[in-house]
Amino acid sequence: MPPRPKKTGPTEIGDGAAKPARKKKEHPAPAAKDDFSNLLEPFYYGKSLTDPINTATDKWNLLPAFLKVKGLVKQHIDSFNHFVDVELKKIVEANRVVHSDADDKFFLRYTDIRVLKPNRIDEDIKDMKYKESNITPNECRLRDLTYAAPIVVDIEYRRGNKMVRRKDIKIGRLPIMLRSNKCVLHGRANRDMGLLNECEIDPGGYFVVRGQEKVILVQEQLSKNRVIVESAKGIMQASVTSSTHERKSKTYVILKKGRLYLRHNILNEEIPIVFILKAMGIQSDHEIILLVAGEDTVYQDQFAPNFEACTRENVYTQQQALDYIGSKIKMTRKPSGYQKRNYQHEAIECLSTIVITHVPVFGMNFRPKALYVAFMARRVLMAMHDPTLVDDRDYVGNKRLELAGQMLSILFEDHFKRFNHEFKVNIDKVLKKPNRASEFDAYDHMHMHGNHLTMGIERALSTGNWNLKRFKMERAGVTHLLSRLSYISAIGMMTRISSQFEKTRKVSGPRALQPSQFGMLCPSDTPEGEACGLVKNLALMTHITTEDEEDPVRKLVFILGAEDIVSASGYEIHGVGAYVVFVNGTPIAVTRTPKKFLTDFRRFRRIGRMSEFVSIYINHHHNGVHIATDEGRICRPLIIVERGRTKVTARYLKALRKGTMNFDDFLTRGLVEYVDVNEENDSNIAVYEKDINEHTTHLEIEPFTILGAVAGLIPYPHHNQSPRNTYQCAMGKQAIGSIAYNQFTRIDTLLYLMVYPQKPLVSTRTIELIKYDKLPAGQNATVAVMSYSGYDIEDALVLNKASVDRGFGRCQVFKKIAVQLKNYANGASDMINASARDPKNPNHLKIGGDGIVEVGMELAKDDVYLLKSTPANTSVSSFSGGANAYGGSGEWRDSHSTYKLPDPSYVDKIMVAENDNQTRIIKIQMRQTRRPELGDKFSSRHGQKGVVGIISPQADMPFSDDGVTPDIIMNPHGFPSRMTVGKMMELLSGKAGVLDGSQQYGTAFGGSKVEDMATILLSKGFSYSGKDYLTSGITGEALPSYVFFGPIYYQKLKHMVQDKLHSRARGPRATLTRQPTEGRSRDGGLRLGEMERDCLIAYGASQLLLERLMVSSDAHEVDVCERCGQMGYQGWCQGCKTGEGVSKITMPYAAKLLLQELASMNVKVKLGLGEEFPSG
Amino acid sequence: MDPYDMEGGAINVRFLNADSTRANFLIQNFDLATANSLRRVMLAEVPTIAIDVVEVLDNTSVLADEFICHRLGLIPLNSTNVDDLLASRDCDCDGYCELCSVVLMLDAKCTGNDIMKVYARDLVVSEGRPNEEIGLPVITDPDGLGSIIVKLRRGQSIKMKCVAKKGIAKEHAKWAPSAAIGFEYDPNNKLRHLDYWFEEDPIKEWPKNEENANIDGIPQEGEPFDYDAVPTRFFFDVETVGGLEPDQIVLQGIKVLQRKLAGIIGDLTGTEETNGVDGYGGGQSPQMNGGQGYGAPEQGYTTPYGNTSTWGGGGGTTPYGATPYGGGGGNPW
Repeated sequence: MPPRPKKTGPTEIGDGAAKPARKKKEHPAPAAKDDFSNLLEPFYYGKSLTDPINTATDKWNLLPAFLKVKGLVKQHIDSFNHFVDVELKKIVEANRVVHSDADDKFFLRYTDIRVLKPNRIDEDIKDMKYKESNITPNECRLRDLTYAAPIVVDIEYRRGNKMVRRKDIKIGRLPIMLRSNKCVLHGRANRDMGLLNECEIDPGGYFVVRGQEKVILVQEQLSKNRVIVESAKGIMQASVTSSTHERKSKTYVILKKGRLYLRHNILNEEIPIVFILKAMGIQSDHEIILLVAGEDTVYQDQFAPNFEACTRENVYTQQQALDYIGSKIKMTRKPSGYQKRNYQHEAIECLSTIVITHVPVFGMNFRPKALYVAFMARRVLMAMHDPTLVDDRDYVGNKRLELAGQMLSILFEDHFKRFNHEFKVNIDKVLKKPNRASEFDAYDHMHMHGNHLTMGIERALSTGNWNLKRFKMERAGVTHLLSRLSYISAIGMMTRISSQFEKTRKVSGPRALQPSQFGMLCPSDTPEGEACGLVKNLALMTHITTEDEEDPVRKLVFILGAEDIVSASGYEIHGVGAYVVFVNGTPIAVTRTPKKFLTDFRRFRRIGRMSEFVSIYINHHHNGVHIATDEGRICRPLIIVERGRTKVTARYLKALRKGTMNFDDFLTRGLVEYVDVNEENDSNIAVYEKDINEHTTHLEIEPFTILGAVAGLIPYPHHNQSPRNTYQCAMGKQAIGSIAYNQFTRIDTLLYLMVYPQKPLVSTRTIELIKYDKLPAGQNATVAVMSYSGYDIEDALVLNKASVDRGFGRCQVFKKIAVQLKNYANGASDMINASARDPKNPNHLKIGGDGIVEVGMELAKDDVYLLKSTPANTSVSSFSGGANAYGGSGEWRDSHSTYKLPDPSYVDKIMVAENDNQTRIIKIQMRQTRRPELGDKFSSRHGQKGVVGIISPQADMPFSDDGVTPDIIMNPHGFPSRMTVGKMMELLSGKAGVLDGSQQYGTAFGGSKVEDMATILLSKGFSYSGKDYLTSGITGEALPSYVFFGPIYYQKLKHMVQDKLHSRARGPRATLTRQPTEGRSRDGGLRLGEMERDCLIAYGASQLLLERLMVSSDAHEVDVCERCGQMGYQGWCQGCKTGEGVSKITMPYAAKLLLQELASMNVKVKLGLGEEFPSG
Repeated sequence: MDPYDMEGGAINVRFLNADSTRANFLIQNFDLATANSLRRVMLAEVPTIAIDVVEVLDNTSVLADEFICHRLGLIPLNSTNVDDLLASRDCDCDGYCELCSVVLMLDAKCTGNDIMKVYARDLVVSEGRPNEEIGLPVITDPDGLGSIIVKLRRGQSIKMKCVAKKGIAKEHAKWAPSAAIGFEYDPNNKLRHLDYWFEEDPIKEWPKNEENANIDGIPQEGEPFDYDAVPTRFFFDVETVGGLEPDQIVLQGIKVLQRKLAGIIGDLTGTEETNGVDGYGGGQSPQMNGGQGYGAPEQGYTTPYGNTSTWGGGGGTTPYGATPYGGGGGNPW
């Protein structure tokens, strides 16, 4: 170990050889210290980052800079902003005018649409011009409101003979995403967040709908408007899902028996590809074969048989082809008027607007579309010839992610269209009437169906059901309740991606880890079980694109010297060295110098002549240059390398540090660029600067960014067996810790908080970036890895009683009780009735003067916490008189609320408020403080969970010669099979850090080195191996072997014995079956299951079986008539009209029920009786 | 071989180091089991006082009542001459009285704009204590603040009546006079109780306490291994939490140990009235403990030991779920 300068702190990467970075330590912080510099601070001043190469040391500073401009959930927020600012206007533009069928002079035109700042529902938007609403998201959470902003439009319309213009007409309310640019939190400094009762660390990106936090999960889909070549059941096919605002359709080009056909839902049968091309105006066979096969004789031979169809069907000209196609179109319109179908017109209509809709046809120019079809055909031929050219559906480059903005966009579009439709129907109704009393003003009708839009969006968000008839879309579970179990679970939810694949299907392809996921999706963070591999998480440094304008890019393509493909023939298109330029999958140009075109294009992008999210890559297999500007591509920033040198030099990093440059400046200066999956796979990316060679195009910013935020918590994950990291990703979300800075002002249904959370001793860069160290969920426990007492087998842990006494693992559990004071239709409403308090009733003792339990009281089972009265008469009836102020008859019924949980809790806080429906709501938050008990679940950060097996007195615990006792004793058998070397390294680094007083890091692919840690340990008088000699606390004798001993960060998981403890001797039964109820919450019985039953059968314990399955469950006595075998009643058989031979038998009630149910279905079941103890 | 009768002769104690917070000493010609007993007793059974019952009169701080109470309990209080105080269960009073408890008042309200920190020094000890020092919060920092209890913002206030009682750390760690006790014998591993694992050189790889090692005598090379040797020299390092002087912890520890032994002897001979040291940790037989014996259990399920676990809880509970102030069966909160 080389000598170190005084107090260097840990080194992350490499050794302490080169020291240019150290000089920067002397620079004092720039005067203007915003929170950005604070974010960077720990990496600049406290410790210096040493690395063989200077820029490689500091280049990672781009990561906090990236997160500063992008944030953890920027993809959601960007998407929402794009929707509000751009997409919304586009939707209105597309549905701008409302006409009337009754009066063709009438029109109403939307000239603009805007979303204002959020306000309360009862606030007038006119006032908002002068004074902004002071609503906060937290108020919405507490009052069960929707955090929404009014949507206003400007209109011009015809009233009488005049044109009327109106501005700022509210058409509905749009729920606002937190931290989007419409949110009140937008642009506010972190210090203001406290004033707004918000947490400054909370990332936003979710909605507050009816008081609940709802996230629209990112949805993964196959990309739209791109050709995918597949081989399905041996049939080669190219398919494309076209998607425009108007229509969605899927078109196939398939190869059947060596012939190419086009398939589409609108067509009754598959049409030979030649006919389609002919119908699109490519009449000569020569041209067709050139467009599809080029000059390649192999492809020509393969394609030639397709022309046979022409002679067979006698289709040679465009007209004949159109007639042929027209005759195959499915009749959708009702045959009104018995008009003879004009096949040619129908075929033209179909080909121009329905087949491959996303390639528009202007002025009967079918050429682009014909080329598109020709390319699809060519792709099929190529794949037939070379099966490796079949596309991979699971390739991440073929995927698009659908975000909140897109989901809201289709929802809004649907509702807006319906709004206009209903509006039109209303207008028509009025305009149809010949004489009107007053002049017709359309404005008056705009509010008649006022809140369909508001309610529609709100309902979709709160239920998660996206039902759109227009797209035949019925998706459930689009939104989810944001999990606030811990900070990390909320973060994890915001980066989650759910796949559209069925969970039940047993295919491994979509679930497998794709190499193209590298850097984009976290390789560790996926759930176990049925959703394994289908639910993914974004890596740390990713961005999801929003849509960019296509036209400027298209212009640029021609500026860069590519020739328009429409004027090119098959010779030029498929000639040797010719590359076709595709923009969003559509061929638009041909170039002979693809490499130059590519570099020129990139240069334009790097100097900021177009959006940085436009991607370009060359596909040499298809001879294509692909440019993508569409939305939903995952991309990530990389450092540009030119001529073997990185563009990011020390000078720029210094500027970054000073704050004179930010991440966007790096982008605009062309030092860093965003690269999407397709482009990434066309690049040569060096991980470290030393790996750069002459072919390198990019340099990674930091390798640990391939992991996501949740996996980033694991120290030394690169030393763990990979499933362990996956387990920790699932468990980190269950850890109890801090939720947010505003955790005490929130009233959640269930909230777990740790009393003394600690930041981990062994941190990672990710932890600091996502600020997990500010909202930690765990404690640094001193762990002895040894066997002790036998109460630690099977992953059980031994806890030190003194540690528990002092607050280790102590947590608070908050539960919400919400009561609504309902308003009834007749005007009556519930009320709090403080006068009902009965001083003699012991259950009323904790009620205060206002009829609500007092804060600080302990509520035990059966205590009353709210004195509520409901009106006796709540029905709407004209006879009730209604003289009473409350509307009802004035009679009240007590409906007090009692505390029902078995464990007592304290009243933490009470809130009384009113929601949007003028209903009074009372929220009572209950609190329990729990110390760890036997059976509570704990876990380290390495997927090593365990339950408490025993809590041992401190005097009995083993101790080191200093007298240090462990907090936790862990059984060493947990290590060999799990192979969590990272945990051992965490212990070592943690121990060194504690002794040294320094922060150690376990960052993936870096982190404090074991060798350095060993040196520290040795210098502090400890064994370098992390092992200590311990003395038994029971005997006082030295333990014969050394013990691995040191701090490990332990998480307390939410599974606690107190919530699960359950037993029952007798109790409630289900009404239908009369069997004991199920589940702890219903005081249910413990089931003797099938497998247990099998054991008893095998053993022959028939009496025990009888007792378990009948006597202790649903034994029932019935009278059975021996003669007819039917059940009788009170010793009388109704069927035989006799009491003779009717005997009582005991049978399970469920069996009796079955017989009767069968009887109700006309199935007669006869019971045959025999002697229980036959005498003979 | 009698360890008391070795060549050195009688048991002797040598102080290596002592100041107001720690006592570093060694005991020679002692026996391992007794030395460990002393360590255990000093750790768990030396009585001190700590806040045990808190009456929350007002708490508008951000922390929950139990949270603050837990913090209050862990504040070390001066326990000089704690024997002057009766154990709460031996006192005739209802709840608490001057004979068995010390009352501390905590009353703070933040009126300024700055965040106010409430420290242990803000605990006001009541009059009428058995001696001057007992019950005073231990404050050792140079500013004289003591441990921090809670932070208050403008308008928040806290008022609590804290009742400190006598207890032992076996029941709750807040009564621990010492958080950790260093204990070592045979630093040079001459007895080979420990099987050092090493890669090359155990001397280099296993740093040891040089001071103790020197005292114990560094083994000569080639010294023959004595199979019959037993440890006789024990190094103690008692560090106080603050409530008791370190030497007092040792003396009290010895006293407690003696009384426990006396209790056992008494029980065996049947003359002594005492039942253990404080009726708490000593040997118990079913007959002595309420005279129920193995007779018919009264309510519910009982163990043959008369429904009283060592920790004083009710039957059928974990030892930790039952505390003397909470009543058995429930959770501590």
